Amino acid sequence: MDAAHIRNFSIIAHIDHGKTTLSDRLLQRTGTVADREMEDQMLDAMDLERERGITIKAHPVTMLYRAKNGEEYELNLIDTPGHVDFAYEVSRSLSACEGALLIIDAAQGVEAQTVANVHLAMKQELQILPVINKIDLPHANVPMAQQQLEDVLAIPGDTALLASAKEGIGIEEILEAIVARIPAPKPTGAKSLQALIFDSYFNTYKGVVVLVRVFNGELRPGMMVKMPHSGKTVEIKEVGSFNPKPYIREKLEVGETGYITANIKTPREVKVGDTILDSKNPATPLPGFQEIHPMVFSGIYPINPGDYEPLKVAMSKLQLNDSALTYQTESSAALGFGLRCGFLGLLHMEIVQERLRREFEMDIIATYPSVVYRVQMTDGTEKEVDNPAFLPDVTYIEQILEPVVKAFVICPNDSIGDMMSLISEKRGSIQNTETMDARRVMLSARIPLNEILIDFHDRIKSLTKGYGSMDYEPDGYDPSDMVKLDMMVNGEVMDAFSALVHRSKAENRGRAIAAKLKEVIPRQQYQVAIQAAIGGKIVARETVSALRKDVTAKCYGGDISRKRKLLEKQREGKKRMKAVGSVDIPQEAFIEVLKTS
Amino acid sequence: MITVAPISFAAADIQPTTSVLAAAKTLPGPLVESLYIHVPFCAHKCEYCAFYSAPPSGDVIHRYVHALVKELELVASRARPKTIFFGGGTPSLLTLKQWETVLEAMHRLQLLPAAEWTVECNPATLSIDKARLLRSAGVNRISMGVQSLDESLLDRLGRVHSREMVFRSYHLLRDAGFRNINIDLMFAIPGQTLDTWRKTIDEALSLGTEHLSCYEVIYEEDTPLYEQLKAGEFDVDEALACSMYEVLVDCLAENGFQQYEVANFARHSTSEAEVCQHPFIPSWACQHNLGYWRGLDSFGLGPSASEYVDGVRSKNWSNTDLWITQLERGRRAKESAEALAPLSRAGELAAFGLRMNAGWSFTEFLARTGFDLRHDWSEDMEALISRNWAVRGEDRFHLTRDGIRFADAAGACFLRPEGSASQGSKPKSRI
Repeated sequence: MDAAHIRNFSIIAHIDHGKTTLSDRLLQRTGTVADREMEDQMLDAMDLERERGITIKAHPVTMLYRAKNGEEYELNLIDTPGHVDFAYEVSRSLSACEGALLIIDAAQGVEAQTVANVHLAMKQELQILPVINKIDLPHANVPMAQQQLEDVLAIPGDTALLASAKEGIGIEEILEAIVARIPAPKPTGAKSLQALIFDSYFNTYKGVVVLVRVFNGELRPGMMVKMPHSGKTVEIKEVGSFNPKPYIREKLEVGETGYITANIKTPREVKVGDTILDSKNPATPLPGFQEIHPMVFSGIYPINPGDYEPLKVAMSKLQLNDSALTYQTESSAALGFGLRCGFLGLLHMEIVQERLRREFEMDIIATYPSVVYRVQMTDGTEKEVDNPAFLPDVTYIEQILEPVVKAFVICPNDSIGDMMSLISEKRGSIQNTETMDARRVMLSARIPLNEILIDFHDRIKSLTKGYGSMDYEPDGYDPSDMVKLDMMVNGEVMDAFSALVHRSKAENRGRAIAAKLKEVIPRQQYQVAIQAAIGGKIVARETVSALRKDVTAKCYGGDISRKRKLLEKQREGKKRMKAVGSVDIPQEAFIEVLKTS
Repeated sequence: MITVAPISFAAADIQPTTSVLAAAKTLPGPLVESLYIHVPFCAHKCEYCAFYSAPPSGDVIHRYVHALVKELELVASRARPKTIFFGGGTPSLLTLKQWETVLEAMHRLQLLPAAEWTVECNPATLSIDKARLLRSAGVNRISMGVQSLDESLLDRLGRVHSREMVFRSYHLLRDAGFRNINIDLMFAIPGQTLDTWRKTIDEALSLGTEHLSCYEVIYEEDTPLYEQLKAGEFDVDEALACSMYEVLVDCLAENGFQQYEVANFARHSTSEAEVCQHPFIPSWACQHNLGYWRGLDSFGLGPSASEYVDGVRSKNWSNTDLWITQLERGRRAKESAEALAPLSRAGELAAFGLRMNAGWSFTEFLARTGFDLRHDWSEDMEALISRNWAVRGEDRFHLTRDGIRFADAAGACFLRPEGSASQGSKPKSRI
């Protein structure tokens, strides 16, 4: 298809604002998917995606649409992950497009996640096509949504299309607007092929399937191409597009999206954001490439130590379709062998854990997540530390820098006070407060990433009775007074609980974990001291008093079998306990505390 | 009137008589010298009780008695009991007539006389006629479920009897000729103070029984007391329970009682002929219960009763109707049976034998199990000794006063669960 008849667009929306339903309607209306083949959430192939209503992988789909002007257009929808954890992937997917549909729920208005993604789209200079969705709802408030578009996103409210994807209202208008308002792709003018890699996935038969958007030149089977950032040169075996199932095409031309295969065995050989170039006559790569770096680290351990090998296998399978996921072996005295994993962010971490549990039926426990600290040493060197166990001796540390994010919190007016104290509790500073509408405000704040790792989002939800929303984007590193907090039982450090925490938080956290440990460590025949320590200084202590007796009062002929079985069970249980020094601690206790701290 | 002297444990090894051997032809195997009979009826279920029992309704007791006779007939050829124990429930709830039926059958089946024959009684269900009937049939030991001598605690526990009934029943038993009486007491009852406990001990001592069984309250699942605890109606005061135990042990020792098991205390006989030479077992100790901790074979009849015969521990159905129906069809009503591998069995015996102050004589253990504690359990013994929980003598290993308080933990070390690594070894000498 000639470029003038191609439109590439993505969809930006907050969870539940109707992105997936709208995509489904577009597929139906263009006849890409027959009604009888239609199943909800066509593009979200993973169970997890369907269930959580989020898109994890990019899903390009090519639709043919005959517009009112009588001409046929190729519309390429690149469905992108909506979460900021995948901001880089999102930015690459967005840069494969010329425009974006921005979906706003007519009843809910603009949400924080929308703001972050619109900012990304604007940076890519995409034409934004606002759609106010769910106008059929009884509490829909179109003028409010239009006002917010202007106030918060600086998009003229009257440019918004009105739709109800669920009821099929406004779909035609959206398709027409895509044709009319989103610019057609133009060749870059470079001397030869330029195709952007915006995602990849693994297929057992074809190897890595690389998702691409052609910016210049064309892609055909048999071509030798190179990818400058990964340094690979390969021969293209197959090119095609999706409808939404993959289908083979002769070639992909300027402006078109689709896939190539080239006998690539491991996804790590393909880097999102890399440019595919002609190997003999390479043009300059497209701008914007970044190496992906994990932001959050956590140890993942099998609950049953015998499951370590299966866990490794499962992780390597996950990595096939998730090249951002990194891992390496680590071991903990308390939890045995496990994997130290790096994630793009919290959602990414949750998704990986959830997929291990569901798709691989692994019983796992994750240690307290850590961000990546930059440790400046007295000798002028700098180290990155993502595991508190590897923090250098404090005497050699000049200072520690921690990653900071810019967070957008949208909340009802009457929760501002709560939000401000939450943000300050999280060591954040509010930089800006914007009124969204009569009911809501948006707070922008700088907050250390480590503070939003655990319960920030949940706290916002509970403080705002579910109305608040939050998103964030990385915002550099700040020096910070971080200390290593260790938990000890009878003087022995329990490595699974060690964490780098801000000095102002260390004592409280130590006290909370000690109290929790006291609840879960069974009483022993001797006293157990639980201590929290910073360096050598004890900041909190709890004592599990010694058992004073362990005897069944009544035990006669009828009781012996039952009692023996009970004792055998306790014995077995004790075998599974982890001995920390002289103290036996059931693994469940570690897990219980890790779950709640 | 017959009076039976308490027997020492060592004297229990009498050879079966030829007449009984002749009767044993129907069931093969050596004679079983211990017989337990469960009477699953209570006027009212107590708050703490997890035993199988229910208030009787309709003619169920009548049918029970006939089924029991049937079960007695089924095992009689292998039973030549030296000890008999009627437990419950409330055995004393049976009427005179029902008792006569049972006693007549036991006599007919040549199960009598037994050297020690205990019947559990509730102070509210005793009459002088019933006491005399039992005594004349050969019952020579009564165990009275008293639990407390404090009226409000009796109420708290849901007991159907009063303080006064305890004293009255006790004297009635003495009048009927019983010279071996136990009473059961409980401590750490919610609401009980150290003072009321002391008072109960004093009053129990002043009664002058030969034997005392004193149990700390056990919170068994499916009992009202457990539900109340779970619902937070009261807290368990461990320190108080421990003080009560210490007071108990000291107080009983001062008054001539010797502890011979976690919860059991007895006097020594004053009669020269009955003095037991065993340093750890008082002469009025309950021989029947000693048999359990020593791993002797024992029949268990009646709903929910357990027995251990020929290396198999089995249990009757805990359902009176089902049990009756099966026996009416002429077969015993077994709910479950387990046979442990030799080492597991020995481990179990080692563990539960340690509940006794006597612990184990190495030679006796070897003779009973074919395993030598000194060989297969030497590390476990050392570990307990190093904790001051146990001591080892020339031919004995037993728990200390501190160790008895941790008898479960100590016993658990001696278990050799089946399938565990240590299970592979074979007994050195089978007897």
